[in-house]
Amino acid sequence: MSKINELFKSKIHAINVGIEFFKDDIVKQNASATHLDWTPPGGGKPELIAALDKLENPSVLEKIEEANKLAVERIVNSQPVLIGFDQAINCVPGMTKTTILHAGPPITFDKMSGPMKGAVTGALVFEGLAKDIEEAYEVAASGAITFAPCHEHNCVGSMAGVTSASMFMHIVENKTYGNIAYTNLSEQMAKILRMGANDQSVIDRLNWMRDVLGPILRDAMKLNTDGIDLRLMLAQALHMGDECHNRNVAGTTLLIQALTPYILETDFTTEQKRQVFDFVASSDYFSGPTWMALSKCALDAAHGIENSTIVTTMARNGVEFGIRVSGMAGNTWFTGPAQKVVGPMFAGYKPEDSGLDIGDSAITETYGIGGFAMATAPAIVALVGGTVDEAIGFSTKMKEITTTENPNVTIPLLNFMGIATGIDVRKVTQTGIMPVINTAIAHKEPGIGMIGAGITYPPVEAFEKALLTLSENIN
Amino acid sequence: MTVQVVIKPNTYFDSVSLMSLSTKANQVEGVEQAIIAMGTEMNKGVIRNVGLMTPEVEEAKNSDLMIVVKAATDELCENAFVSINELLTKKNTNTGKSEVKYSTISSAAQSIPEANLAVISVNGAYAAREAKKALENDLHVMLFSDNVSIEEEIELKKFAHEKGLLMMGPDCGTAILGNIGLAFANAVRKGEIGIVGASGTGSQEISVRIHDFGGGITQLIGTGGRDLSEEVGGIMMLDGIKALDEDEATKVIVLVSKPPAPSVEEKILAQISQCKKPVVVWFIGGDEEKITKAGGHFAKMSKEAALKAVLLAGADESKINKRALNIPLIEEVRAKLKPEQKYIRGLFCGGTLCDEAMYAAMEKFDNVYSNIQKNADYLLEDNNVSKEHTFIDFGDDEFTKGKPHPMIDPSTRIERFKQEAKDPSVGVIVMDFVLGFGSHEDPVGVMLPAIIEAKQLAEQEGRHLEILGYVLGTDLDYQNFDEQVEKLIAAGVTHASSSQNAGLLAREFVVKGE
Amino acid sequence: MRYAISGDSDFIQKIKASEFSGYVHSIFNRTVNIQSLENGELYTVACQEIDNGPNTLVIQVERFNTINLSVNDQVYTENNFLHIANKLTIAVDKAALWESILPEYPQKVEILNRNSTKMRDYIDHYGIGGGMKKSNHPTTPFEIELSRLLEERTGLLLTELFNNRHSEAIEKASKLIGLGPGLTPSGDDFLVGLFTILNLPKSPTHPLKDFCLEVVKLAKPLTNEISYMAMQKASIGKVRESIISLIHSILYGTEEDLILSLNKVLKIGSSSGTDIALGILAGLEANKIAGGKV
Repeated sequence: MSKINELFKSKIHAINVGIEFFKDDIVKQNASATHLDWTPPGGGKPELIAALDKLENPSVLEKIEEANKLAVERIVNSQPVLIGFDQAINCVPGMTKTTILHAGPPITFDKMSGPMKGAVTGALVFEGLAKDIEEAYEVAASGAITFAPCHEHNCVGSMAGVTSASMFMHIVENKTYGNIAYTNLSEQMAKILRMGANDQSVIDRLNWMRDVLGPILRDAMKLNTDGIDLRLMLAQALHMGDECHNRNVAGTTLLIQALTPYILETDFTTEQKRQVFDFVASSDYFSGPTWMALSKCALDAAHGIENSTIVTTMARNGVEFGIRVSGMAGNTWFTGPAQKVVGPMFAGYKPEDSGLDIGDSAITETYGIGGFAMATAPAIVALVGGTVDEAIGFSTKMKEITTTENPNVTIPLLNFMGIATGIDVRKVTQTGIMPVINTAIAHKEPGIGMIGAGITYPPVEAFEKALLTLSENIN
Repeated sequence: MTVQVVIKPNTYFDSVSLMSLSTKANQVEGVEQAIIAMGTEMNKGVIRNVGLMTPEVEEAKNSDLMIVVKAATDELCENAFVSINELLTKKNTNTGKSEVKYSTISSAAQSIPEANLAVISVNGAYAAREAKKALENDLHVMLFSDNVSIEEEIELKKFAHEKGLLMMGPDCGTAILGNIGLAFANAVRKGEIGIVGASGTGSQEISVRIHDFGGGITQLIGTGGRDLSEEVGGIMMLDGIKALDEDEATKVIVLVSKPPAPSVEEKILAQISQCKKPVVVWFIGGDEEKITKAGGHFAKMSKEAALKAVLLAGADESKINKRALNIPLIEEVRAKLKPEQKYIRGLFCGGTLCDEAMYAAMEKFDNVYSNIQKNADYLLEDNNVSKEHTFIDFGDDEFTKGKPHPMIDPSTRIERFKQEAKDPSVGVIVMDFVLGFGSHEDPVGVMLPAIIEAKQLAEQEGRHLEILGYVLGTDLDYQNFDEQVEKLIAAGVTHASSSQNAGLLAREFVVKGE
Repeated sequence: MRYAISGDSDFIQKIKASEFSGYVHSIFNRTVNIQSLENGELYTVACQEIDNGPNTLVIQVERFNTINLSVNDQVYTENNFLHIANKLTIAVDKAALWESILPEYPQKVEILNRNSTKMRDYIDHYGIGGGMKKSNHPTTPFEIELSRLLEERTGLLLTELFNNRHSEAIEKASKLIGLGPGLTPSGDDFLVGLFTILNLPKSPTHPLKDFCLEVVKLAKPLTNEISYMAMQKASIGKVRESIISLIHSILYGTEEDLILSLNKVLKIGSSSGTDIALGILAGLEANKIAGGKV
């Protein structure tokens, strides 16, 4: 029987695109219809539609699908394990005493946003490369300092992401694929370097982290020869109500619980150990960077697969938002202007005080947690503004622009759906749905710090540029 | 037949929920009747009156919710309760499970395995792309959008043909599949006649006439207006005829179109000659001889086509009300018109309805102008100014740019009507009122104030203004067909019972000196 | 904690004096009913989009389904607060006080006559069928029978009423109570509309007020508590704000006022608003007849 004759005998289930009342009329007649939440592909721009069409050419399509399958397999199969802590100069590839790593795509000092300048100058003072902040501005602009994105050194950095030689780093090894990712330690409180604060209290804290916290963690992890399976811990944290970007209370508890026995066995004084525990207890954010390193570790394993349209990096430097795509090996950034973050502000601050979206933390969304896993964390809905329904909506909607679900990390509320994994540049431009990012808001002036939290989206330009380049490169 | 009852003690739902629950419960498969009501004495009384009283119902209290289901078997009853309970708990829980929204045809098609059809009505610039996606996902397509290039149409139809899928459109306004009307379609009986139509309102008209004659429809396949052009080559119509010929439920096939391009006509005729089933052909202004030669049943006009189809399907001719033309009425109207009132002004929402009336007029008059005339000499120079006999299709591109179709938004036609009504050379204004899914909820009602005003004005000026109205619809359409007709008649409008009669009456009203 | 926006002044006084306690009787998306332990009446806490009404407190909340209330939750008061278990606390100190006051029947009836004609036309077109207004497409024998009984019994009631046969009218009215689909059966809603008009001060039918009280005496065992409460309040001239504003428009308003306020009433429940509006029209008809006799 032909397909048409088969249709004559079937119950109609229509997919309706366009005029909505056509769906209503079908439903009224007792048949089923699903109305699409449709927008013109590529925002209706002809060159983007042409690029999408080109990528759908069957021979090209087959290559892409194959490459993407491999890319998401690598993301899903990656098993990042925390194997230690050490100073950046000792472990981060290409690190020198005069190197400053920063968040987001490449940027020169003069173009940096207020918070990032604050952090850079603070770090120069911390490293002894300048005697005070004023001098630090001169040093930074002098050309004596090498600036580079964290991402180009296997690192990620939250907010300003400023990472200097003597800071202690998480060392996270991908047990499946062997690559290693790094990130520095959480400074906890609101008035901190990564938010652009740089007064003496900030420098003092950095000193203590270098002299006490870092060495204790390093020595503790030397005693733990198995390392800590971060993916397993992440999965637990999600089941405990974290989305592991803006809510880290469960993750932090799990992490310190795993570290504690080894911390106790180190040779430091009880007072110093006590300081460490107090420090961890002072903010839930302690494990925030840890999940960033995990995400980076998994995504780096999927970077550089020819013909893949999977996004492996989303990062912001406070001025620009940049993405990297697996199919464009190395450090090809596609950028657009950094966006405002919309969300509740701390008392006393107004929206016009906020700096633009900043930090490498969007690596968590790139992996499928954070904004993508909002349904696991109804508790933070109030923090980032919005409703529980919206939170759930985000998690299901992100499936529209991703390639697969990660069965290792699941969302109980959505029937243990795996987190949406493998953002596909084609799907983003096709649907106009932007990846949703949960993030903190830093004050736009240097030296003040965090003033709120909220939700933001990447600029569409970054994805459009990526799509156009991919369509030229994949034949 | 069994009756089962569930009493939900002390259960309160708000009225809106109860109503929608009741509606849905009555639609559950196998349910003959479902009653959902509060357990008051009076409501129990009603249940007793309709013969469904049970001991459980007797026991129900004021604050209890009664659910009574009557179905053929116990099993069906139980199934129904499972469904009703699902509906009840759905209303009641708030697990926060929001409805999944899909953004692309591919993601929807992959997530909904039972999906079998895409109805696409996005802007023409994007429509072909979406249609292609749908076909790639093995969905049949109804493409409502217009402004799709002919090259894209050919590509889509070839692709669909290869995959054995329906590719209805672009610019396909109507279809009925498995008794479900899509876009602009009328509610008609299920029956034994299949329609393939390249003209939307023409197909609607045939389906409605068939229903009126007591017949019914198996499938109505729209092809889009360009299908029978030289370039497209009738791909969809040929596939449609073939599918209906193979469809067990279909006994008679009706084809509706403007005359096809000659090469395409040949292919269609060849296909007809191979059909196992009788094929009635209504190609507006088409050639009888060729069609008859190919073994087709020629129809010159719409009502005739529907009647032939119904008779071929085995209806008893003596029992059909053929809605004959009202000859005395013609004389009556002629007598009222002054000598200078000699022109027809046709103001149509439906393109084929306009065509049919125009062709009827052209049989007796030469000076027939239109915005859709084939003969360029008789195309209106200015579509906003009528000339002698004028027929306007308000659904044509010029009138719909940036505006909804007149079947949805009749405002342009209302303004034009006011203009025509003032013209002392006008003998009759003929208009169609299209009911059914998609159409305006009260097409006659929105026109009425203008009609009443125009009639009064004409009366003051001492002339008779003859207005002829045709309501395309069935007693099953949601707009209430009878009410629409009554409103027309009450306003002094002459009611035509079919598109064919409307065309003939309009023409005859203004024939002078016979 | 939530703030009450406005509410029935008696109810608010009770809360302020900590003289109110009870338990949750029923929960809907937009309203929660509380049964008072003091007088057994139902009181309503309503979300912000709902209009004021007798025994009703309108509070700053969009929907109740996000607050995890359960039937039989304890309700108590303390200073200016109304507590529902430990789940919802409502502050009433900032609430605007509202009272149900019906407008007077006008001396000249031109506007009233014009508006009631308009209103009947409008309901013919836009009213919701299935209750007092016939459904265009009744699908089940139950619906058909229901519709027949509603029509027949309202007809009988009005005949008795117009002919001033008091006790017969009471008997006929009782046959409407509890009749019809929906949470508040259509017959009840119709009576609410009718009672309201019979309670208009200075109206020709004002003497029929007692008729309402007599009918309500019979009502309790015939319908559910929620619907009974609305009827009981209407029988003493206390009804929702939207109904009062509709009556005001009918008696004194322009056509636009009428349509706006009528639309608000028609939106009540499913067919409830239409049923009430038809009760109002029946009441006005009764006044016309009674007025003619004076």
